[in-house]
Amino acid sequence: MIRDFLVWLATQVGKGPGEYDPSWSEGLASTLNVWGLLEGTHVLSLMLFAGTIFLVDFRLLGWGFKKTPVSVISDRVLPLTVFGFVLMVTTGVLLFYAKPLLYYHNLWFRLKLVFLAVAAINIFVFHFRVQNDRDAWDTAEKPPAKARLSATVSILSWILVITFGRFIAYDWFECGKPLPHWANVAQECAVSERGAIDLTEMTK
Amino acid sequence: MIAPQDIFPAIGPWVSALDETFPGAQIKPYFAQWEVLHILSLALLGGASILLNLRLIGSGLTDESPSEVRRGVLPWLNLGVIGVVLTGILIGTSNPERLYTSEAFTAKMLGLAAGLILTYGVALPAAKRDGRLGAGSGIAAAIGLGIFGLCIGVFAVAKLVNPGLWHVIIAAALIVLFVTRGLTRIVYLAGLLALVATQLALHQVIWKPDDYAHLDPANKVLILVYLAWILAAAALQIVSSGRTQNGGGPAVKALAYAAILVWVATAAAGRWIAFA
Repeated sequence: MIRDFLVWLATQVGKGPGEYDPSWSEGLASTLNVWGLLEGTHVLSLMLFAGTIFLVDFRLLGWGFKKTPVSVISDRVLPLTVFGFVLMVTTGVLLFYAKPLLYYHNLWFRLKLVFLAVAAINIFVFHFRVQNDRDAWDTAEKPPAKARLSATVSILSWILVITFGRFIAYDWFECGKPLPHWANVAQECAVSERGAIDLTEMTK
Repeated sequence: MIAPQDIFPAIGPWVSALDETFPGAQIKPYFAQWEVLHILSLALLGGASILLNLRLIGSGLTDESPSEVRRGVLPWLNLGVIGVVLTGILIGTSNPERLYTSEAFTAKMLGLAAGLILTYGVALPAAKRDGRLGAGSGIAAAIGLGIFGLCIGVFAVAKLVNPGLWHVIIAAALIVLFVTRGLTRIVYLAGLLALVATQLALHQVIWKPDDYAHLDPANKVLILVYLAWILAAAALQIVSSGRTQNGGGPAVKALAYAAILVWVATAAAGRWIAFA
């Protein structure tokens, strides 16, 4: 069902009346510079988003800005982080829109989404649970274990999101190539345009 | 004629052999993994540089003195710079031909040199003195800005790479939007939106997106208008905010803008190596 929606998104939305008229998605993917600018902005926004969230997490771990209250770091730095996140998500959605089926059948993209979800849940838990009693440890050089755990989960999930995001560009597990069975299943290669070739079947 | 191969033609044979010898040959199979470390270092460097320089501009962590912010970011800034340089060298040795023939790489190296000078020679010493420029900082600023100008110049004339300059313009526009306040911010944002609307109309309504004969000169004029608008708003912010909130004076603020943008230009040039 999701794939059908993406096929429609990629090939039908914004398509002109002519047989060879591109859809908006195809048009975006074939632009001379816009796709490059979107991709570049997506990567560069990491300097703002990941760079600032790492520094906030380092404060929660007691690794930096030890004399600065956690509330001050949160209030002053997180607006920058949120702005970077909005920029990253906006460009990310547009990049996905340009080649939705390619990303849908990509193992690294799927893993990236999983850890994006982990990071989002961690933010939710931190916001609504961990920092409920922040006043008690706001000025502590080393915040309590629950805050440090949340910061660790945050750092690790964003590192994995960035790692898997970078790996998307590589064709190690591209559908249509001889792949282990699990990789074909994990990417739903069987329903992809390139199909699934099972490595174990080939070697039998 | 601005790729490294044009500037240093004699080292061609040495460059060709780099990916077959240590450490390039060992790095090559793990290129993607080293790339990730490069990006993570860049993020660390970016976050630290943004917080440090925004404080000098008079924004961001204003509850703390610039020297306190410097103390907080310095270890991470150093780690980011060391990480970027080290992983950059290793990645470079495993992919030397690509870089040797890339005009974007020239812009990147100029940006790196300018970034190091503006960060370690100007921004960090100014933050240490709570917003005042030291004796040597003037010379460092002049050299850093000169090389940064050269970096932008190379970026602007590099074939198939110059659209990447939009990253620097967008970053400048967003920094100014973040630091301006009140009516200035509203007027500035309205002007920016009007420019974006004009650009979209030129590209989609007045001319076709592939009508480069018309769009190329129009884009060049638009870039100048964007720059004038952004610089005017930044100048207004620099002058009107004075030395409030223990930030830097006008010169330090202007240099802090440059110290952020130089890293954006460096990273953008690096990204556009892959696109050209």
